[in-house]
Amino acid sequence: MRRAVAWGLGGAALVAMPWLVRAVAPGQQRYVLHILVFTGLFAALALSYDLVVGHVGSLSLAHPAFFGIGAYTAALLATRAGFTFLPDTLAAMILAGLVAWLIGVPMFRLHEHAFAIGTLGFAMVTHIVATNWVDLTRGPLCVTGIPRPALGMGPVAIKLTSVPHYYWLALASLGLVALLYHGLTTFRLGRAFHAVRDNEMLAAAAGIDPRRYRMLAFVVGAVVAGGIGALYAHYITVLCPEEMTVALTINLLVIVFIGGVGRLRGVVIGAVLFTVLPEILRIAPTWRLVIYGGLLLAIVVRWPEGLESALRRSGRSRTA
Amino acid sequence: MAFFAVHGLVKRFLGVTAIDRVDLTVERGELVALIGPNGSGKTTLFNCVTGFMPADAGRVTFRERDVTGIAPHRIARLGVGRTFQLVSVFSRLTVLDNLLVFLQQHQEDSVLGRLLRTARLRRYEREALDRAHALLAWVKLADHAHAPAGTLSYGQRKLLAFAAALMPNPELILLDEPAAAVNPTMIETMKRHILALNREGKTILLVEHNMDVVMDLAQRVVVLDHGAKIAEGAPEAIRRDPRVIDAYFGR
Amino acid sequence: MRAGYAEVEVLRGVSLEVRSGDIVSIIGANGAGKSTLLKTVFGLVTAHGGSIRLAGEELAGRRPVEVLARGVSYVPQGRCNFPAMTVEENLEMGAYTRNDAGVRRDIDAMMQRFPMLGSKRVDPAGTLSGGQQQVLEIAMALLLHPRLLLVDEPSLGLDPRMAELVFATIESINREGTTVVMVEQNAKTALSISHRAFVLELGRNRFEGTGRELLDNPEVRTHYLGR
Ligand SMILES: Nc1ncnc2c1ncn2[C@@H]1O[C@H](COP(=O)(O)OP(=O)(O)OP(=O)(O)O)[C@@H](O)[C@H]1O
Ligand SMILES: Nc1ncnc2c1ncn2[C@@H]1O[C@H](COP(=O)(O)OP(=O)(O)OP(=O)(O)O)[C@@H](O)[C@H]1O
Ligand SMILES: [Mg+2]
Ligand SMILES: [Mg+2]
Repeated sequence: MRRAVAWGLGGAALVAMPWLVRAVAPGQQRYVLHILVFTGLFAALALSYDLVVGHVGSLSLAHPAFFGIGAYTAALLATRAGFTFLPDTLAAMILAGLVAWLIGVPMFRLHEHAFAIGTLGFAMVTHIVATNWVDLTRGPLCVTGIPRPALGMGPVAIKLTSVPHYYWLALASLGLVALLYHGLTTFRLGRAFHAVRDNEMLAAAAGIDPRRYRMLAFVVGAVVAGGIGALYAHYITVLCPEEMTVALTINLLVIVFIGGVGRLRGVVIGAVLFTVLPEILRIAPTWRLVIYGGLLLAIVVRWPEGLESALRRSGRSRTA
Repeated sequence: MAFFAVHGLVKRFLGVTAIDRVDLTVERGELVALIGPNGSGKTTLFNCVTGFMPADAGRVTFRERDVTGIAPHRIARLGVGRTFQLVSVFSRLTVLDNLLVFLQQHQEDSVLGRLLRTARLRRYEREALDRAHALLAWVKLADHAHAPAGTLSYGQRKLLAFAAALMPNPELILLDEPAAAVNPTMIETMKRHILALNREGKTILLVEHNMDVVMDLAQRVVVLDHGAKIAEGAPEAIRRDPRVIDAYFGR
Repeated sequence: MRAGYAEVEVLRGVSLEVRSGDIVSIIGANGAGKSTLLKTVFGLVTAHGGSIRLAGEELAGRRPVEVLARGVSYVPQGRCNFPAMTVEENLEMGAYTRNDAGVRRDIDAMMQRFPMLGSKRVDPAGTLSGGQQQVLEIAMALLLHPRLLLVDEPSLGLDPRMAELVFATIESINREGTTVVMVEQNAKTALSISHRAFVLELGRNRFEGTGRELLDNPEVRTHYLGR
């Protein structure tokens, strides 16, 4: 009961965030919400990545590619073919998932290091294609003028032009991704994922096809990443190849590992820390990145299983 | 045709022939022990017939079906359960989940079906839980049901792996040294359990170095040495067989 | 001694005394705390109460390398070798802390004692059968000529002849002066070669006596020896 109330209040606060921010810091609303949009998108993207890394234990380095494929699909369909927001996002998700499935077939024949390197190679190739296939992507000139999304059609269309609108869209997307993540990683399916991660041989003896579950997590992760890519492109309205470099993988790994691998709460906490902390540290501009790096290091040393493990421990001692 | 049969199985590794043209048949409802000195190829035979290793030659049939070269998870789904000699559990899953994970695969094949948790699935889940709790009780792990399997003692993990293999109620059960690392009192319980399974009609192929277990349980004993079958027969006859004494029992 | 893991206390006050030159067996149900006891003595698990003395010197709180340096070697339960290294390299690793000229000769002697190791000399340890790896691990520990050998289930996975050879080897190094503390589920055989033995139950002492006494004790027989 108390839990339900807490969840209700927390949810209401998240939805009411634009007004709360305006009440507390009237001049800063745009800036704060802008950061929170990034938090939401990063959290959703990191959750989709954690499906693969945390739950089936495959160290894929291909995630930026799926994010990028989604972003470019949406951007190009919107700017060149006149697609509206929902159809182009859907197309982005389908294409990212399809590509994941196609490269997953050869990649999952590889194991561990080889799989990581194989997926890294794929990510690099996609980045190079985005940079050099100028006819399609405009390469380094970037795709510009991507419209802000509109939901619905004709006279009933709601145009999501303001930052608060976009904040709600990001929040709703994060909610959906979190639900999907929860559904996939608990109960029967979750057990099968974790079985494959823990002991592939024994999983096979239990009648579980390891490759199939790895592939499922990989493709679902790519579909979500493609969708988030589309949301991102529509939000920033300009899309450059730099958005999909390998550096994005590092960021996602930081989020997942700082927060807690394989933990919904943990990944979200990681994303909040990753996007909000550097902004707070702007109060000390010269030392900002040094302090940021130092804090990350301290967290890893103090809680090697991620911040979430600290929450779990304190939660347990309270109930005990 | 035999319930489970191996014809002319050969498995070579660099330098050794781990299995050398072995024929083996097990009839439905039989309890057969497979014995032989360390390194004689018993585990390798298990690995080849359950799809974990490709054989170099030979054929394996199960219930009139050729299962040679089939993927291990498919063989498991046909109703063949096995345990591993080296302790093997899902160390980050709880003890209870270690059992449940063995059952679910045999009930619902479609991923979509699993995503939509239907009423039927919920009933399965309840039945699975009952079965899991019953198995945990007899291996004395009920108190550990919610602990990660990685925190169990070695022998407890061994017992958990044994219980897990029984979860899906397989028709053919291959046990690789189930009694090793298990305390003598629990071995007695385990023996009764294996016998009860056999009386229910389950077919069992047992690898074991504990001769009390082999002699008390087996209806027939097959002996491997250097990958080849050197003897086969009733337990008392095998015990007196000079070739087996020479290769295995000693003295 | 008291010891345990993160949140659970496993050893709740265990006491045992081992005389120099004895073979001592520890038996008990699965999960009684036998392995934890050996691990604590060797410094792999930290004791949080009581003391562990080796010839008068406190061992509690010492790290495994320090315990090893005092002449204690330990064979863990189940697989613990370098699977990608050859059998010979594993034996060399077993003698890692020795730097006398006798290592080569001892490795050859070990291969003589266990001819299987000689015939598998250049094979990676990970390709050996279960029982063969067990023999390798015992051989690795013996190469240190320990004062005190802690061995967790030496007969695990061994065929009857090999088990006999390993127990005979334990008796023979004991005659040469090594004190042995062994945990065994093959309890009857272990008790029959032990000078003293202890039964653990739920992290506490339950019975102790000479090997013979425990073998003859009806309660020990029904609860710990099966039948
Ligand atoms: N992957 C492998 N590569 C090379 N040789 C192997 C491999 N697996 C097993 N062998 C060899 O094959 C032979 C048979 O091994 P196997 O594990 O089947 O024996 P086992 O009868 O199960 O013995 P144990 O009673 O010790 O468990 C051994 O000589 C072993 O060294
Ligand atoms: N890493 C661990 N974390 C938490 N609990 C543990 C851990 N290892 C062992 N335990 C618990 O400690 C108890 C004793 O374990 P231990 O391995 O000492 O048993 P044992 O007597 O050696 O049993 P066995 O005969 O099965 O090897 C068990 O209940 C086990 O669940
Ligand atoms: Mg074997
Ligand atoms: Mg133990």
